[in-house]
Amino acid sequence: MREAFKKIQKSPAYSGLILFLAALLLYFALQFIQEPGAFFTIRTYRSFAGLFKNYAPLILVTMGQALLMLMGIIDISIGMQLSFANVLAVMLPEWTGMPIAAAWALTLCASVLLNTVNGLIVSYMRIPPLLAGYAMIYIVKGINLAIRSAPGGKVPAEINLFYDKMWGGVLPTSVIILTLCYLGWAFLARTPLMRHVYAVGGSERNAFATGIDSARTKVKMYALAGLLTGIGGLCYTAAYSTGNPITGEIYGLQSISACILGGISLAGGWGTMSCALFGIGFQVLIQTAVPRIFSMLPGNYNTYWHNLASDAIILIGLIGTIFAVRAQRTTLVAGLKKQIKGGGAKDER
Amino acid sequence: MLKMADISKNFDAVKALSHASLSVKSGEIMALLGSNGSGKSTMVKILSGLVNPSGGTIEIEGKPVQIRSGADARRLGVAMAYQDLSLIPAMSVVDNITLGMEPAGRFGRIDKKAAREKAEKYLRLLRVDIDPAALVQDLMPSTQSMVEIAKAMATEPKLLILDEATASLHSDEVDVLFEVLKDLKQQGMSVIIVTHRMSEIFRICDRCTILKGGETVAGGEIKDMNLDDIVFHMTGKRPDHSVTEETGQSHSYKEEDLLLDVKGICIPGKLDRVDFQTYRGEIVGIGGLDGQGQAEFIRAVLADVKYTEGQIRFKGREVHYRSTADAVADDMGFISGDRARESIFPIRSVAENLFAAKATKGGLFAPLSSKTIQEFAAKAMEDYGIVAGSISHPASSLSGGNQQKLVVGRWIALSPDLLLLDDPTKGVDIHSRHEIHEILRRCIKDGMSIIYVSSDNEELLEISDRIYVFYEGKISAQLAGCDRTEEKLVAAMMGLTGSAEKGAVE
Amino acid sequence: MKDKAAVSKLQVFFKSNQVGMALLISALLFALTVLLNPKSLNQIAIGSILSLTSMLLIASAGQTLVIISDGIDMSVGSTMSMTALITVAIMQGDGGMDRLFLSILAAIGVGLTVGFFNGVGTVKAGLPPMVVTLYISNIVGRLQYVFTGGTPEYTSVPKWFNQLVTTRQFGFFPHIVLLAVLFFVVVFFILSRTRYGQQLTLTGNNNRAAYLNGIRTSRIKMLNYTIAGVLAGLAGVIGAANSGYIQCGTYDAMSMQSIVAVVIGGTLLSGGKGSFTGTTAGALLFTILNNGLAVLQVSDSIRNLIMGIVLILLLAAYNRSKPVRQ
Repeated sequence: MREAFKKIQKSPAYSGLILFLAALLLYFALQFIQEPGAFFTIRTYRSFAGLFKNYAPLILVTMGQALLMLMGIIDISIGMQLSFANVLAVMLPEWTGMPIAAAWALTLCASVLLNTVNGLIVSYMRIPPLLAGYAMIYIVKGINLAIRSAPGGKVPAEINLFYDKMWGGVLPTSVIILTLCYLGWAFLARTPLMRHVYAVGGSERNAFATGIDSARTKVKMYALAGLLTGIGGLCYTAAYSTGNPITGEIYGLQSISACILGGISLAGGWGTMSCALFGIGFQVLIQTAVPRIFSMLPGNYNTYWHNLASDAIILIGLIGTIFAVRAQRTTLVAGLKKQIKGGGAKDER
Repeated sequence: MLKMADISKNFDAVKALSHASLSVKSGEIMALLGSNGSGKSTMVKILSGLVNPSGGTIEIEGKPVQIRSGADARRLGVAMAYQDLSLIPAMSVVDNITLGMEPAGRFGRIDKKAAREKAEKYLRLLRVDIDPAALVQDLMPSTQSMVEIAKAMATEPKLLILDEATASLHSDEVDVLFEVLKDLKQQGMSVIIVTHRMSEIFRICDRCTILKGGETVAGGEIKDMNLDDIVFHMTGKRPDHSVTEETGQSHSYKEEDLLLDVKGICIPGKLDRVDFQTYRGEIVGIGGLDGQGQAEFIRAVLADVKYTEGQIRFKGREVHYRSTADAVADDMGFISGDRARESIFPIRSVAENLFAAKATKGGLFAPLSSKTIQEFAAKAMEDYGIVAGSISHPASSLSGGNQQKLVVGRWIALSPDLLLLDDPTKGVDIHSRHEIHEILRRCIKDGMSIIYVSSDNEELLEISDRIYVFYEGKISAQLAGCDRTEEKLVAAMMGLTGSAEKGAVE
Repeated sequence: MKDKAAVSKLQVFFKSNQVGMALLISALLFALTVLLNPKSLNQIAIGSILSLTSMLLIASAGQTLVIISDGIDMSVGSTMSMTALITVAIMQGDGGMDRLFLSILAAIGVGLTVGFFNGVGTVKAGLPPMVVTLYISNIVGRLQYVFTGGTPEYTSVPKWFNQLVTTRQFGFFPHIVLLAVLFFVVVFFILSRTRYGQQLTLTGNNNRAAYLNGIRTSRIKMLNYTIAGVLAGLAGVIGAANSGYIQCGTYDAMSMQSIVAVVIGGTLLSGGKGSFTGTTAGALLFTILNNGLAVLQVSDSIRNLIMGIVLILLLAAYNRSKPVRQ
């Protein structure tokens, strides 16, 4: 038992787990305080499950971002790409009259293609990813606006119903989708490709010396991130029944902060998908908890206060995480030095 | 099995290799030897795909090949254990050893069991007793080196290259390694060992190839050669074995002229209780093979690198600088040999580059006219004979020699008390080199002290009043007065000082 | 043979004289716009171009400093919006010089705080500047909504202040140009006539070499973000006067626009090279481009696309990293 606990403590997701559990506790505590009577009914569960429905697109974008951050790449345009999938999914049937299934499959392919191009620009033209991502926001936004200049569009009602459905009364479709994606990650994590990803993230020069084609690895991850973003865009379409060309812009920054909070190292080569999930879980729960806390305080606070508070908390959390990681590393290095001095001395030659 | 012929490599203006050659037979252990600037590091990096040769051919098992990447090298059966390690620190030992050749399980997943077994096989072979799931960054440096070697061996190569792999190993680990190498030799594997340790060469190698100044100058069966011959080929001088650790420890300087007094500096893995003194008005040279701790020592004095133990006294006081800016403010200056990374601001003009150090003295927002900068620069250019198209051209347009003169001028114009130079004339033309030496000698007369690290023995002897020689993180000898002979210097560089020598040639 | 020489000569000219190129392209674009729509050549149009360019230039002052030091400041826009709002709120439609003075002080205070936090996040915590400044930009943006509840009580400055900034002499020369000149002088002084500017530029070009030279790189970068914040704050005060209608987030777009102006003007995104003269040329080019696109009634979609492609092209031309293999 202690072994298992020690193992968790060492894993990258440890700090993210703590944050997530804290936020979870806060969420349920508030739920209890506000509706004590109804706490132990199915309503509590339903409203919690409802979070997944609304935030699945953001969660999927974060998962895509995580794949890239493991290689030390931050792609700030990933949110805008979600909107790309969204508007394309809405407009394709309208333009061509093709059946929804075909249109959506095509949207996924387009999403993958778009991000692959993004990846090619970054890895083969060696443009700094952060700046390239910034430029990509505008390019993708331009494409989106060309597809749909204003929010709107029709989505068949069945889709929305399907998405909202609770299977067996307990499992929302969104959770199933997320679980499937996570299982996909779990499979991927055991493949050689993922080892290469960590190697490229850990030290690109050493990975190259070991025979790994870092450019190709990067492009593959961009493609996979595109797939996740595409699925996220489809979820968004199903959840909100509309096509919005620019709404995803904020997802970009949120996914980055979620990954950092969850424990994924900015330098790359360290972290897991759980980090990303815990990170975004923390963020989402804080964002839902804050309005509730405000509503309990005397005085009137509008939504602007809520957003401000949650942004501030997240920024503080970000800086705190960085310092915590740094402290962890210095103790590690100090421990290593102790080992060297106490253990073998160099003059045993 | 391997034949490299006519290999040349130019890094910008520097000729690292010039029609060098190397050939290795199957089942033979070849020592690749060379002093500083010999090109041996470049030679093996070409074999491992990290460097692209400018000319020449490589044949493996009779067939001409091109090695353009680490992947190519692997495919051709070449594996290298790097001196600075090619391991991924945040990954486990297993993952590192099997990286790039992960055993396939079902459905494209990694067969974890097979991977662990493979890693354990080679760890056992090298008698490394660790948990394969441990992260590389949590291991001791010597263990990390063993893992690096295990990783190279695990690719089951036809040619194994060990680049200074024994540098951080304990003696028992070296014993194990050599046993394994003997076995591998029997099985037909070829091995190239790059090392500076003479004792190892005689212990394990069959033949040797000696590089000097980028050319292949000698080679032959080890059993037909003796130590002095090898050192002669490497450096052009026969070592004077009379040099010991005690040599040069007495001198005629006055205590009150002691400017820099370093006692017992330790940097784990790099420096081992180094004592060092510099007096006013002298040039202290630091010699030794590359990577013996000289660079770390200089940077420790500059507070660029932290030391774990020891004390530094400067101008009579104990100092604890928190950053290099503090050292510079205390009248120290630093001239690096790695111009591009550490001294030159390529896009900025020559004038601004010259003014760079002066830019730290004076009010931050006080008016500074471009005329001030230009006058300062013009004077410096005249004083130090720097040739440039115009002072407003970017510094990158200058030749290497002029760039270095620029950096020298930058610091000397500030009259620091202590100037530290780390191999400043590496890759600089002879003429500029002489000019820089002249400038430095003039400064000494004005009371400045200089610490001069050099990888060129002739230069070291020419310019230094006293010489400290570094060997494996320690001072192997101090040479002063009539002890400053190249033979003694060479002996100290190779670690052939008295007590160390006992364990050397068998 | 001759063609190759000519092409490479052109390449050298292009790479070394970005400011000249920017001015040249500006002139060409303007000519093109006039050609396509001859009615657009009139006093009012030229006045607008001068006014917009000046406003952008003022907003890009801090950004120029930050990018030269190898950073980036995404909070310029929201800081400007914030201080514009504060100015309007303090002057309350009828305030005099004393109120203006108060607004300026408040703007400096706000800019200082924002810049300080930007510096802490990037320099002390080591987070990527883009991420930190974006988050702070968000927070500053939200704060505006929080203070005003979404609808500000006052939305414009007193007439005298507005006229002071926007009146056009001879029908086409707005006073704001003079303010831009003032900013130019200040930034030029800081960058080219102080040790601060020298140290900053050297740090941006080669952080390691600057450090070893004795420059306190962390300290100077922190100071730089703070100064950039103050400049953005002051830009907001001017922005309040320049615009007829201030609300929450009026100037948010300035973050992106200032980056584009600075980069077009020859300041490398990787730092170490740049000048405010360059930014001026960049601001001019951007304004003319934007203006041209508006005159041609180009859609939002294409406008964004062009912006993104321009950025990528600039990045590809000037900002590539080194390959792993030598």
